[in-house]
Amino acid sequence: MYPFDVKIPTDLAAARKAFEDADDGLFLAGGQTLIPVMKQRLAMPGTVIALERISDLAGIKAGGSEITIGAMTRHAAVAADPDIAKAIPALAKLAGGIGDPQVRNRGTIGGSLANNDPAADYPAAALGLGATIITDKREIAVDQFFKGMFETALDAGEIITAVRFPMPECAAYVKLQHPATRFAMVGVMVAKVGSTVRVAVTGAAPSVFRATEMEAALTLKFEPNALDGITIAADGLNNDIHASREYRAHLIGVLARRAAQEAIS
Amino acid sequence: MSKISEKNLIGESVRRREDFRFLTGRGRYIDDIKLDGMAHAAMLRSPHAHADITKIDASAASEIEGVLCVFTGAEWKAAGYGTIPTKSAVRKFKDGSDLKEPPHHAIAIDRVRHVGEIVAVVVAETRDIAKEALDAIEVYYAPLPAVTGLKQAAAEGAPQVWDLAPGNVCLDFGLGNEEAQKKAFAEADHIVTLDLVNNRVTAVPIEPRGAVAGYDAASENFTLWNSSQNIHANRDTIAEAALKIDKSKLHHLAPDVGGGFGAKNGVYPEPILICHAARLIGRPVKWINDRAESFLSDTHGRDQVSTVQLALDKDGQFRGLRTETLGNLGAYCGTVGPFTPTGGSSRTQGGPYKFDAIYYTAKAIFTNTAPLDPYRGAGRPEASYQIDRIIDYAADVLGFDADELRRKNLVPKAMLPMKTPMGLDVDCGDFPEVYKRTMAMTDRAGYAKRKADSEARGMKRGFGVCAYLECTGGGPKEHAVVNFRDDGKVGLAVGSHSTGMGHETAFSQLLAGHLWLAIDDVVFTQGDTDATPLGGGHGGSRGMEVGGSAVLQTSRAVVAKGKEIAAHLFETTSDKIEFEDGSFFEPGTNHTMTIRDVIDASNDPDKLPDGVQPGCLNIGTTFERGIISIPNGSHAAEVEVDPETGVVKATHYWVVDDFGTIINPLLADGQVMGGVAQGIGQALLEEIVYDETGQLLTGSLMDYAMPRADDIPPMHVGYFEDAPTAKNLLGVKGAGEAGCVGAPPAIVNAVCDALKGYGVKHIDMPLTPEKVWRAIRAAQA
Amino acid sequence: MPAIKLRVNGREAAAEVDERTLLSTFLREQLDLTGTHVGCDTSQCGACTVDIDGITAKSCAMFAWQADGAAITTIEGLADGDKLHPMQAAFREHHGLQCGFCTPGMVMTAVDFAKRNPDPSDDEIRHALEGNICRCTGYHFIVDAIRTGAKAMRG
Repeated sequence: MYPFDVKIPTDLAAARKAFEDADDGLFLAGGQTLIPVMKQRLAMPGTVIALERISDLAGIKAGGSEITIGAMTRHAAVAADPDIAKAIPALAKLAGGIGDPQVRNRGTIGGSLANNDPAADYPAAALGLGATIITDKREIAVDQFFKGMFETALDAGEIITAVRFPMPECAAYVKLQHPATRFAMVGVMVAKVGSTVRVAVTGAAPSVFRATEMEAALTLKFEPNALDGITIAADGLNNDIHASREYRAHLIGVLARRAAQEAIS
Repeated sequence: MSKISEKNLIGESVRRREDFRFLTGRGRYIDDIKLDGMAHAAMLRSPHAHADITKIDASAASEIEGVLCVFTGAEWKAAGYGTIPTKSAVRKFKDGSDLKEPPHHAIAIDRVRHVGEIVAVVVAETRDIAKEALDAIEVYYAPLPAVTGLKQAAAEGAPQVWDLAPGNVCLDFGLGNEEAQKKAFAEADHIVTLDLVNNRVTAVPIEPRGAVAGYDAASENFTLWNSSQNIHANRDTIAEAALKIDKSKLHHLAPDVGGGFGAKNGVYPEPILICHAARLIGRPVKWINDRAESFLSDTHGRDQVSTVQLALDKDGQFRGLRTETLGNLGAYCGTVGPFTPTGGSSRTQGGPYKFDAIYYTAKAIFTNTAPLDPYRGAGRPEASYQIDRIIDYAADVLGFDADELRRKNLVPKAMLPMKTPMGLDVDCGDFPEVYKRTMAMTDRAGYAKRKADSEARGMKRGFGVCAYLECTGGGPKEHAVVNFRDDGKVGLAVGSHSTGMGHETAFSQLLAGHLWLAIDDVVFTQGDTDATPLGGGHGGSRGMEVGGSAVLQTSRAVVAKGKEIAAHLFETTSDKIEFEDGSFFEPGTNHTMTIRDVIDASNDPDKLPDGVQPGCLNIGTTFERGIISIPNGSHAAEVEVDPETGVVKATHYWVVDDFGTIINPLLADGQVMGGVAQGIGQALLEEIVYDETGQLLTGSLMDYAMPRADDIPPMHVGYFEDAPTAKNLLGVKGAGEAGCVGAPPAIVNAVCDALKGYGVKHIDMPLTPEKVWRAIRAAQA
Repeated sequence: MPAIKLRVNGREAAAEVDERTLLSTFLREQLDLTGTHVGCDTSQCGACTVDIDGITAKSCAMFAWQADGAAITTIEGLADGDKLHPMQAAFREHHGLQCGFCTPGMVMTAVDFAKRNPDPSDDEIRHALEGNICRCTGYHFIVDAIRTGAKAMRG
């Protein structure tokens, strides 16, 4: 690992200031991606700004038709939360299937979304459920948030503070896990929020995306067989030693049908 | 001694003595060693698969604060060090010419031949400094064409890894009677041909390799602590061949070793390089591999492609078997390397089945990849996969029932003892009975319901079997020495080495059981070339067969000497003395003394016969195995396949093994289950992948898929103990490798059975979801 | 260099650490608690698992300074003198370990899991071990051990 400075702010203003002062600063949330990546020298921040001591960044609030999850809330807390289990069980299940127990004890929702790993689970939850990303500066509708592989709409130094999820009528997340990392080889979140159907796909492409043709079909008829005959083009999908783009395209169809089935079950 | 054990301990599931320290964090592994003044080494490894080194500039690295020394192949060559030789037991081509052994220096000289080969070494005050200094070394490479795949390397016009090995062939090999095989084929009704890939895998012991070297300038002695499973043989090679010193000048020790599975058996460059570094800087030097480096530099295993042909009559009787194999060696001959695909894969060809004739032929091929060496089984898993896979394939394409085919062709008990067509001495066993017992365990009655349940969920269920024949290997000699100490404890040192198998318990159990001592009073030593004059380390499932026999032989020698002492004190002759229940006594008299009394007497000159020295019970003996034993057994697996995604889940696993006498059933179970899990890993998950330019694509645990708890089914293990072998003192047949010999064919057979309805005939390992999905699609197209 | 204070296995520890020092390195090198093992660079193997304020984490995926103020239990802190923790005892009884290298992380994970799931099914146990790789045992006896250990812990 290359040398770096550490800042441990206790409020957002100090975190912002630390970023402004830093030469090549990087925020550290749960660290379950960033620290291994730094060990491999694939990330070389000049300053690491740890967000873990900032009060009020963690916690889950259920109110009305929404659930708001603080950015520093650990995956395990989301998976175990009774309000989430009741209102959005698909989200609890998704969080409970991220990585492994130790990763879930450290990793955070804000960190996962800000990182936007192509194979991460949370981007599918946010995009599939139509979440709103709340930062220290503004609110960003999720459809404007994910910009490409490891890229988001966040400005330099902008900090996610919370994520607000609408409570869906029904939703389900089904993934085929990567055999080595337990990330999603492909994961599909299918949700019906109000009258809107959303289908978000992670693991398959450089960034999470919505399968709009599937959404249209499920809007007409929210049943698995509504997806029959819809194929996803393999062009542009991820292609690696674990799964070819053709196989990933096929999986999207299979997993979307299963998610739709689970959502209505 | 505190107490005398009440019974002989053979067959008891004695709980492990080493566990307390492992469970409380007090194990002492290589990275736990901290010496005064210890410096840290890091290896600069080649990013190229094949390239000339035109220049190395290490001057900037040497200037970094905290860097103690940097050296490269040029200095190594100038220092006059020797190469690491192969100990392959097969050394001749079929035409009698010598195997092509290229010079294997511990560090690249002028040219690199695989990604990960060491080109420079940095020694620094800390590991971090050493690692950072690697970046400051400038190496200029002139890349050369590389070749990684077996068929590509064997093809005409392929890039040449070594000039001395035209066509990249290190060795060719044949075993068996080719004429008889051809005759059998000519007479047979059917000949079935199947091409098989035995995927390249690596052992991944959870403890990465590492070593600590020290040098004493006054005595010119080296001390090397090494995460090794074979310290005696490797001492000889490291000292005499590489460092060019007398082996008495190298004290080689292995602390607790965190798994080996063959990958810690051979001689590696790094320990040799840090010996040099320790002498250079006059301080102890530690090196610990990263996991990423481990994937690049641990020896890999398997990596064979074969064409297997089975000839059989119309009633299903097997007549002949022919296997033609290409085996990947990587860029160098490993310590055993060339033997594995040649001799190693040949001997158990045909498994426990009866054949008129078998012919096996193989070529060992150099490629621009990391060297290959034994991985648990080393040749026998490949042979087992070939025969048991082609049986199911033949049954499928010819319309036989695979179960019937097996039962019809298993060598009947009445044929034993026999010499197989490959020359193996099979002295005892009952293959049909072992197979029958396995099938009886498998709940065939419940299978139809489980299959129906699967179908109802849109899943496919399959059942697969493998009847395997194994043979042991490894060093034929082992030494065990006991030392009755002043504090009442008894020291036991054995030259074999546990990397998790539990020798500390099993060997102590044998000694304590035979001498009627308390097992807690045995103080066990392993992994020290000063503790025993020789040792065979661990490999080839030899631990109990050779090491256990040495312990028993030494125990018997102690009893014999004890009888002499008792006879002297009873004023009789030792042939009149018996030893039972921990006492020496003369039947028909009231003469009796406990072993404790005899031990005390053995140290008292007044109680010893003339000419017998105090300490006479401190005895070491060397056991030498004559003929290797033949473990055998049958595996059965049930799997569920998701045909839409191709995901395979192994749901049930059953094994019955004939390991002869079982010394400690719990430890034997552990060996079987661990081996099965590795076999399931190879069948379903694991593969080392290089791209065509020689870059390693599976360079971390993020890409090399290891079996986790939820990938592995519960296992049921049974033993057939009615056929102890007379080939060693304990009647044991090695247990260590059998699990991963039987598992791959059982699993692949089960998956192919599940997919039979789609017309799938075969899928090469690992059976990843995509491969299974593609196989179903291809079969239906 | 951050200065940190924490409790490890009930004892106060204070140290200055390099920013880059991982918690696993700190425990092993500065506190000589070498029971915490490092088996990979990418946080898959789980051999380095420790308990931090009541939850498990991979100590190779944390900086030492992140543990400032925390109470940490490592494998060395589980047994009561020579008396093994019930989970340790269950691993021994069921032969849930061979080479012992993954064992500290495996046991720490098992203890944390059993606290939350006092009466787990075998499937739940296997799922809970997703973050711990064992190469020796084939897991069967580890599952047996955790089932027994959980039972002993719930008393």
